[in-house]
Amino acid sequence: MDIKELVDRLFEYGKKQGFEDMEVYIHGNKKLDIKIFKGEIDKYSLADERGLSFRGIYKGKMGYSYTEKLDKDSIKTLVTDAMDNALNIDSDDEEFIFKGSKNYKEVKSFNKELENISTKEKINFVKELEKEAFALDKRVVAVDYCFYGEETVYSRIVNTKGLDLENNSNIAYSYISVVVKDGDDVKTSGKYIITNDFSKFHVKSLAKEAVDEAISMLGADSIESGEYTTILRNDVAANILEAFVPIFSAENVQKGLSLLKDKIGKEIANSNITIVDDPYMEGGIASSSFDAEGVSTKYKKVIDNGILKTYLHNLKTAKKDGVESTGNGYKGSYKSPISIAPSNMYIKKGQNSFNKIIEDIEKGILIIDVQGLHSGLNPVSGDFSLSAYGYEIEKGKIKRPINQITIAGNFFDMLKEIEVIADDLKFVLPSGNGFIGSPSLKIKKLSISGK
Amino acid sequence: MLNKSVIEAVINDALSTGGDFAEVYLEDKYNTGLTMIGGKVEKGLSGRDYGVGIRIFNKNNSIYAYTNNSSKENLIKVAREAAKALSENKKDIAIDLRKSSLDNKHFIKVLPNNVEKAKKVELMRRAYNTAKNYDEVISQVTVNYMDVEKNILIANSEGLFVEDKRVRTRIAINAVASKDGEMQSGFFGPGAHMGFEFYEKINIEEYAKEAARIAKTMINADLCPSGKMPVVIENGFGGVILHEACGHGLEATSVAKGTSIFTGKIGEKVASDLVTVVDDGTIPNEWGSQNIDDEGMETRKNVLIERGVLKGYLIDKLNSRKMNMEPTGSGRRQSYKYAPTSRMTNTYICNGKSTREEIIENTEYGLYAKYMGGGSVNPSTGDFNFAVMEGYIVKNGKIEKPVRGATLIGNGRNILKEIDMVGNNLAFGQGMCGSLSGSLPVNVGQPTIRVRSITVGGRKAKK
Repeated sequence: MDIKELVDRLFEYGKKQGFEDMEVYIHGNKKLDIKIFKGEIDKYSLADERGLSFRGIYKGKMGYSYTEKLDKDSIKTLVTDAMDNALNIDSDDEEFIFKGSKNYKEVKSFNKELENISTKEKINFVKELEKEAFALDKRVVAVDYCFYGEETVYSRIVNTKGLDLENNSNIAYSYISVVVKDGDDVKTSGKYIITNDFSKFHVKSLAKEAVDEAISMLGADSIESGEYTTILRNDVAANILEAFVPIFSAENVQKGLSLLKDKIGKEIANSNITIVDDPYMEGGIASSSFDAEGVSTKYKKVIDNGILKTYLHNLKTAKKDGVESTGNGYKGSYKSPISIAPSNMYIKKGQNSFNKIIEDIEKGILIIDVQGLHSGLNPVSGDFSLSAYGYEIEKGKIKRPINQITIAGNFFDMLKEIEVIADDLKFVLPSGNGFIGSPSLKIKKLSISGK
Repeated sequence: MLNKSVIEAVINDALSTGGDFAEVYLEDKYNTGLTMIGGKVEKGLSGRDYGVGIRIFNKNNSIYAYTNNSSKENLIKVAREAAKALSENKKDIAIDLRKSSLDNKHFIKVLPNNVEKAKKVELMRRAYNTAKNYDEVISQVTVNYMDVEKNILIANSEGLFVEDKRVRTRIAINAVASKDGEMQSGFFGPGAHMGFEFYEKINIEEYAKEAARIAKTMINADLCPSGKMPVVIENGFGGVILHEACGHGLEATSVAKGTSIFTGKIGEKVASDLVTVVDDGTIPNEWGSQNIDDEGMETRKNVLIERGVLKGYLIDKLNSRKMNMEPTGSGRRQSYKYAPTSRMTNTYICNGKSTREEIIENTEYGLYAKYMGGGSVNPSTGDFNFAVMEGYIVKNGKIEKPVRGATLIGNGRNILKEIDMVGNNLAFGQGMCGSLSGSLPVNVGQPTIRVRSITVGGRKAKK
């Protein structure tokens, strides 16, 4: 049975069972993964997956269900499950099916060129990448991950209010992680590229980035505990921002799970900070003309020169607050109910070069990696304490590598202590909360725990 | 689920280009999830995961493909597509599937799918009410409930043909305390490889109260001091230290590549004499248990470290080829979307002789980590980190005052050697572990232990 027929029958059966408005969200995904180890294809994976998510209003409440088995036998289960789920919802917030926005801006998220690159070329790329890493320095003892992957994603929303939207996108990524060794001293570094433009995949620069950074950490040692002027390198700052993205969700604000409650129009960050959510950004992984509820997406400043301008809304939270949805309705996959996430969200870059910021520091620390973002950080309280490594800066110069330290602070306090913003905006590998970027940030003071 | 002749045909085609081993993994899983915030059910979702994974080996290399469409034509197509990655002559391998029966160690009484949602909601409400009413400082409580019923079939070119059913359920309570513009949270998430009868076995109110108590304690806590100090880590989920500091490094995934800090160390001293470490996937109905691993091998009780000496690794089928060692029933995967690899099940430090009281009384100054949060590790360097959810300063052998915001960091090479006291009160805690083959239910466990010296990342200088 083709999808159109399945959806028609599903809506028909749902209606008979007493559903009012209904919607399906279909998601298809084709993937390729190539992993190289010691010159050979260590793993080669192919995937072809799809799933269908159903939701509808039953007795005034929204019920959800999904299936990965797309056949006519699933219809009954989908409807019965959604009904059962709707009956158990007792939220006061109204969720509804959307008839569609007036206009949708065209967004280019599919690059046909990528399909013209042969598998052989891709395999060669990863093999060369590994080879290059070994050739760069004899202290490279292993390349523990070296892979190329790509995904083609298809999504479609169809509902009984006449909405029918579809989107195609594709993306390719490569990741290399190297292990370097000098005596007993072992260090690693991982670097990646993510884009749907294969011409941007360069073996030499990617391998060099990873090897140089790992080598630079050899001989690292801890540092005296204390408060230090700290630079968070662009990727570190972006990773931390990503982990705190839930604070901007209107749902968390309404449920009393975000400290940004009642802060609209107030200064929550230093006046040099502007945070943008741009669903139209060129090359943005999260670029799309519509969100998971079919609402037209919007460019917006979440923080403008330190002032909190808006939360991120979906239809439900917007209705509750009496505002318009910001087009941030999000579905992690067909398995998830509607939640909220940013699109391409970033801290606007500043004027200073990264090197200039270092030159201006008499004594401080540069952080180039943090670990434990899923555990050592609490979006509710804003507290973080993260294992980290980087370099000690003295008299405007990088003096030595440091590790076995933690950086600790509170995100809400830190937003006010960002003194200088670099001009090196960088986006990090997405992990579900949108595509997040930041320039390097100089923080007045952070607690460092070491010796 | 799938009939024998279809599987045989698929395996045959998967081997058509010279592969020396092929495997078919089918999964049919039913999920239920409910979210309650502020006493109201906000989200309810249920659905069916369904798909087939096909894996081919040629010596030490592997190919993996998966699809949601299990028609014979499509599976053959996917098998052939995957086989294209090889280009050798077909080997002479006769496929003769023999269905094996399982010795079920994890008896399920009440299938969660046979329980009305209203009963699940009622359970969540009990948790909510208890936590919310614990104290006026508790401003919000979120309760998540989940259950899964997973039916799997594994067949391979060695003749294996086995089916299993896995049922798991978990309830997670997150309490938030607010005061003077600050918020702190407390968490408890008990779960088991069990049906709905699990909730008759446990007292949900006690867990809810604990989550609220942690949040309340932390909102009134001072900032944690920084620096190196002795740390007493409480039993149960405290075992996350072992999981991060050493468990991941013992997985064949990193051992086979030679990048683990434990590679080539069998028979060597890697921990203090007080430390014996076991990974046991057979414990009846525990969260990380299962009858067979996701390659069809029976799970086992694997002794990894015995009185400080490294005894073994956790090995899956592919890595057993690379390492020339027997697999240990440790091949696991989140779903058909992942090729299996070596993973932990229920991993714990065995009981020692001290009591919790003795351990604290013998600590002049240090941190007492009553509840741990999660953590992570870099298996190549051994550097790990994990968060303390509820901590206290110990002074002169007494628990003095609560402190917040601490992370413990260190290196797996020395941390196990620094364990200088081990309690006699082994307990487990439930967690989800993320790695190459996806997110998996695992138990971590230990008795109360003391680590002589560890870096505590806090926000205040040591006094």
